[in-house]
Amino acid sequence: MLYLHLHQPWRLGRFRFLDLGSGRPYFDVDRNLSIFKGIAQRSYRPALDRLHRALDDFPDFRFSLSLTGTFLEQARLAAPDVIERLRSLYRTGRVSLLSETYYHSLAFLVPPPELSEEVAMHREMLEKEFGAHPKVLRMTELAYSDDLARFAEAERFQGMLAEGWEGVLRGEPATYPYCAAPAPTVMLLLRHYPLSDDVGFRFSSSGWSEFPLTADKYARWLASTPGEIVGLFMDFETFGEHHQSRTGILEFLSALPGEVRRHPHLGWATVEEAIQIPPRAPLSVPYTMSWADQNRDLGAWLGNDLQRSAFEAAKKVGVLARRTGDPAILTDWRRLLTSDHFYYMYVSGHGADQGVHEYFSSYESPYDAYANYMNAMTDLRRRALDRLGVPILK
Amino acid sequence: MATASRTRTSHLPFGGAPRPLHILMVGWEFPPNHTGGLGVHCFELCQELTHLGHRVTFLSPFVGPFTPVAGVTFRHPGEKTGGVAPEFPPAYWAGGTPDSPFTDSIDGYNSWVSNLTTIDAFDVVHVHDWFGTVGAIALAKRLHLPLVMTVHSTEYDRSLGHPWDHILHREELGIQSATKVVAVSRHLRQQLIDRYRAEAAKVTVIYNAVRPSERLERIDPEKRIVLYVGRLAAMKGVDTFLRAAARVVPSFTDVLFVIAGEGPEYERLIELAANLGIGDRVMFLGRVSEEEREILLAGSSVFVLPSVVEPFGIAALEAMAAGVPTIVSKTSGVAEMSRGTTFRVDFWDVDEFASRISELLEYPTLRATMGDQGRWAALREGWPERARETLVVYLDAMRAAGVRP
Repeated sequence: MLYLHLHQPWRLGRFRFLDLGSGRPYFDVDRNLSIFKGIAQRSYRPALDRLHRALDDFPDFRFSLSLTGTFLEQARLAAPDVIERLRSLYRTGRVSLLSETYYHSLAFLVPPPELSEEVAMHREMLEKEFGAHPKVLRMTELAYSDDLARFAEAERFQGMLAEGWEGVLRGEPATYPYCAAPAPTVMLLLRHYPLSDDVGFRFSSSGWSEFPLTADKYARWLASTPGEIVGLFMDFETFGEHHQSRTGILEFLSALPGEVRRHPHLGWATVEEAIQIPPRAPLSVPYTMSWADQNRDLGAWLGNDLQRSAFEAAKKVGVLARRTGDPAILTDWRRLLTSDHFYYMYVSGHGADQGVHEYFSSYESPYDAYANYMNAMTDLRRRALDRLGVPILK
Repeated sequence: MATASRTRTSHLPFGGAPRPLHILMVGWEFPPNHTGGLGVHCFELCQELTHLGHRVTFLSPFVGPFTPVAGVTFRHPGEKTGGVAPEFPPAYWAGGTPDSPFTDSIDGYNSWVSNLTTIDAFDVVHVHDWFGTVGAIALAKRLHLPLVMTVHSTEYDRSLGHPWDHILHREELGIQSATKVVAVSRHLRQQLIDRYRAEAAKVTVIYNAVRPSERLERIDPEKRIVLYVGRLAAMKGVDTFLRAAARVVPSFTDVLFVIAGEGPEYERLIELAANLGIGDRVMFLGRVSEEEREILLAGSSVFVLPSVVEPFGIAALEAMAAGVPTIVSKTSGVAEMSRGTTFRVDFWDVDEFASRISELLEYPTLRATMGDQGRWAALREGWPERARETLVVYLDAMRAAGVRP
C-alpha cells in the first residue's frame, strides 16, 4: 500500500516588529510560488507522470494521495498543470484521495469546532476539484490518538492512518489493519516506518549499508515482510525533491511496480481497499503520536518553549479571530496554524533530527522563525481587537 | 570528526608538537593596558601555549605593566635603559601623520626588534598586525626562522577604505613575506587574498574565543538594557545603534540604551543621540573596567554589535558567553561562527536592527532561549582549541621554511 502526501505551506515573508500595524501582508506569495514552481519542475511533474505511466503499464498497480488546501491554492497559481495531472490520475479509478485539514494545521489541538470546520473545507475542496468523497482521514503529520479516532467516527470516516510505532503496538506487527479501540468502525492503517524511511530518508545516503537501494532489492524486502499489508507512507516530494533526480529516485519509483509483480503473493491496494480487510485487533492510543522525529510525538511542533509559547499565542488569537467573523482575519489565522511554522522553531542543538528540521526550514534559525511568527500573530491580534472595537492595551 | 581529533591532540604532550617550542612573539599591546581584541588574543594565546609546555618571548613597544604569565618573558625597547622607554601614544588612532612622533615611535620599535640581541634559540617568529612587521621580517631573516603573521584587522577596514599608505605598506610587506598567515575570520581571509594578494594556500582562519568567567547570576531587571560595548570609531556603526534605538523607544517606555567605550566618535554620538530626541534614553559610560563590563552584561537584555566592518568582534562573543541574546552585523567575523544562535543583520539596515531589538524586548521566551543557546555556542570551543590550531600553523611554517620541528 503506497500513500504519498502533497503539501506546501504558506511561508511567511519577513514581517518585522516595525511592520506591526502597517497592513503589510504576512505571507510572501511570490517566494512561495517560486518555491512551488521549482518543486513542480523537480518532483511533482516528473513523479506524477511516472506514476501515471506505471498505472498504464501495470493494471494491478494502485496507490493513494492526499493534498492539502494550501498545496492546491499554490498549485492553482504556480502550476495548474499539476492539478490537471492529479485529476487525470484520479480518473483512472485506481487512486484514492484522503481527507485531512485544509491548512495542514494543528487544528486538532485547538478547541472545537476548528478541526471539523477545516476538515469540512478540505472535503468541499476535494468534491469541487476532483468529485472525490474520501472515506479515510489522515491528520496533520500523521497525528493519531483515541480522541482523533472518535472524531473520525463522528465525521463518518471509515479509516485513519497512523504510525506503526512499537510503543503502541506492544509487540503486535504493524503489517495488519487494526481498528480504533474507542471507535471500532474506524479502521487503522499503519505506516511501516522502517521500509517507508528506507526510501524516504535513506535512499540517497551513501553511508547506508544497503546503499544503493534498487527496486528489485526493495521488492524482495517487501516480499519477505510477514503480514497482510505494508504501509509505505511518505512525502510525495521524496521523489525528485528530498532525493534529487540524479540519485535515481524517479527510476526507482518507475521500476517498483514491475519488480513487485515478480513476487506473486504481493499486490497493491489503495487505502479504501485496505480498510475492507477485517481488523486484527482493536488498538488503543491514549496520547497523540505522529510520524516525526525519534519520539513520534508532537515534540517536533510543540516540544520547546518557543513552540509552546507561539502556539499559546495562536490559541488566544484564535478565539478573537473567530469572534470577528472576518474571513480575511480568520484565513490569516488558519494559515498561521499550519504545522510547518512550528516545525521551523525546533531547537535541539545536536542530534539527528536537527538536520531534518533545518532542511525543511526557510529560516536561518528557530529564533528567526519564532520572532517572525510572533510579529505576525501580534499584528493579527491587533487587527482582531480593532475589528471588535476593543482598545489595544500595550 | 573534528571533535575527535581535537580530543586526541589534547592528550598529547606539547599539544601535538614533537618538542617544546620557543616562540618569539612580536606584539603590540598586552593586558592589562589593552584596548581591543589583539591584546586579549595575545594574552590568551600565550597562556595556552605555555600551558602546553611551550615558551614565549613577547616583544612590546610599551614598558608595561604586563599581566604576568608563567613561561612568558616580556621584552621592550626601554629595557636596557632601566625601564625608561620612549613615549608611545596609547594607540595609533590618537592621531598622527606619516611623519608624526607616532610614526617615529613605530620605526623605533621596528629597528629595536630587527636588532634584538638574544642568546635564546627560537623556533618561530609570530607577528601580530602591522605594527612590528618590518622588524619581525628582518629578525626572522637574521635568525633563519619562519615568520607567522596574524592579521586581526586591516588598514582598509580600520580606515573605512581610506588607508594610510605607510601602514598599508607595512601590512602588505608582512602578509607577503610571512611563511604562514592567520586571519581571525573567513571574511578577513578573503580580503587578504583579494586585496593583499596573499597566496590562498598560506592563509588559515583561526577565530577568537572567550574564556568562561566566574559568571555573575543573570538578572532580568525591570528597566531593560540594550548594550553596546566597544570602541567608538566610525567602523563600529554606533550611528546605526542610535538610529535603531530611536525607532525602538516609542514602543518600549522602559528601555535604556547603554554605550560603553571610548573613541574619536564619542562627542559626535552624544550629539546624534540628542538630535534623535533620545538623549534621555541613551547612557554613555565611557571606558569600563572588565568587572564593570561583566556586571553590565549580567543585567542586559540585548547586546548589539552593529559594526560596518568587524574582522572578528570579540565583544559579541563575550556577550553570548554571558547569556545575553546578541544581534550582530553580517559582515562581522563573529557572525560566521554564530549562525543560528545570533540575529544577523546587514549593517546598514536600521529598521531590521530596531525590529530585532524590539523582538527580543517583547518576547521573553525568545530572550531566554536564545541567551541559553548563545552561551552554549560561545563556550563550545575555547582558547585551548585556538592555541592548538595556532601550533599547527607554527609547525607548518617551520616545515615550509626547512626548520626541523
